[in-house]
Amino acid sequence: MTSPAADAPPSGPPVIRDSLQGKYAGFASRFTAFAVDIGVSLGVFMLALGAISFAATVLTGTDIAWHKGDTWVIIAYAVWAFIYFARSWGASGRTAGMALFGVRVVRDDGTDVSERRAALRTLALPLSFLLLGLGFVGILLGDHRRALHDVIAGTVVIYSWDARAARLRFLSRS
Amino acid sequence: MEGRLVPRSEAWAQAVAERAVELVVSALDVNALLDGVDLNAVLDQVDIERVLDRIDLNRLLSQVDLNTIVERIDVDALVEQTDLSAVIASASGGVASDALDVVRSQTVGLDEFIARWIGRLRRRPYTGPPGPPDGLRAKAGS
Repeated sequence: MTSPAADAPPSGPPVIRDSLQGKYAGFASRFTAFAVDIGVSLGVFMLALGAISFAATVLTGTDIAWHKGDTWVIIAYAVWAFIYFARSWGASGRTAGMALFGVRVVRDDGTDVSERRAALRTLALPLSFLLLGLGFVGILLGDHRRALHDVIAGTVVIYSWDARAARLRFLSRS
Repeated sequence: MEGRLVPRSEAWAQAVAERAVELVVSALDVNALLDGVDLNAVLDQVDIERVLDRIDLNRLLSQVDLNTIVERIDVDALVEQTDLSAVIASASGGVASDALDVVRSQTVGLDEFIARWIGRLRRRPYTGPPGPPDGLRAKAGS
């Protein structure tokens, strides 16, 4: 039996006494980081399309209209998303969204993710969606909080920020 | 005759005394002696405040040449060892890092909330975020 306070959704900054660094990241952190990444990658992609349209108009005088249903647009976005995720994970273990929410991808033994493994994880990511989202159940139920693409690529997602230090910083300023 | 005998007997007596002291000292077990001393009891009897009262700090400091001490400090080495970028970053990024900490804390709170409910549904008490071995933690950069 947990206390009512424990059942209530968090309304203020929770009191985190542990560092959390190196612990397996939870569903909310991972999902929000992923949502931010989709937003960032889509935003950059649309900016690029706009820039191309503008350049084409200036240089050739013809307007290029992009439609989200165009096959080439979908393929271009898929390629861009692959580059975005694979390069980010391979270079630093985290994307922009993951950096924002203080999580990162590492190999299941704690070492950095190689470019190859990052590419494999990126390719396996759609599988977790294609199985009606069942690929993500492992994050909720698994002891290591791994999604299907984590299992395939041999990776885990961990908290990389020091919650205890953050709390001390907050207390020192208040 | 008597004048020559007296110094000789004194020298003998001194040699005998030195030898006797040597024998006594070598026979003493200093460690056993120290073990028997109750230092706490000795310190209890020392009136520290009275000792401090008798110390003339001004006189002591007047004999210290601060300029010489400062000259001996290698300021360049000191600056080199200080992570100035970290100091500047922590001082200037206050508002931004605070906001980031709050956002992360909220999300972690949500993680915990979800995990507690999952634990309840599975009838497995939730004891906090699962942690890998320390090795994984040590390799995780911030």
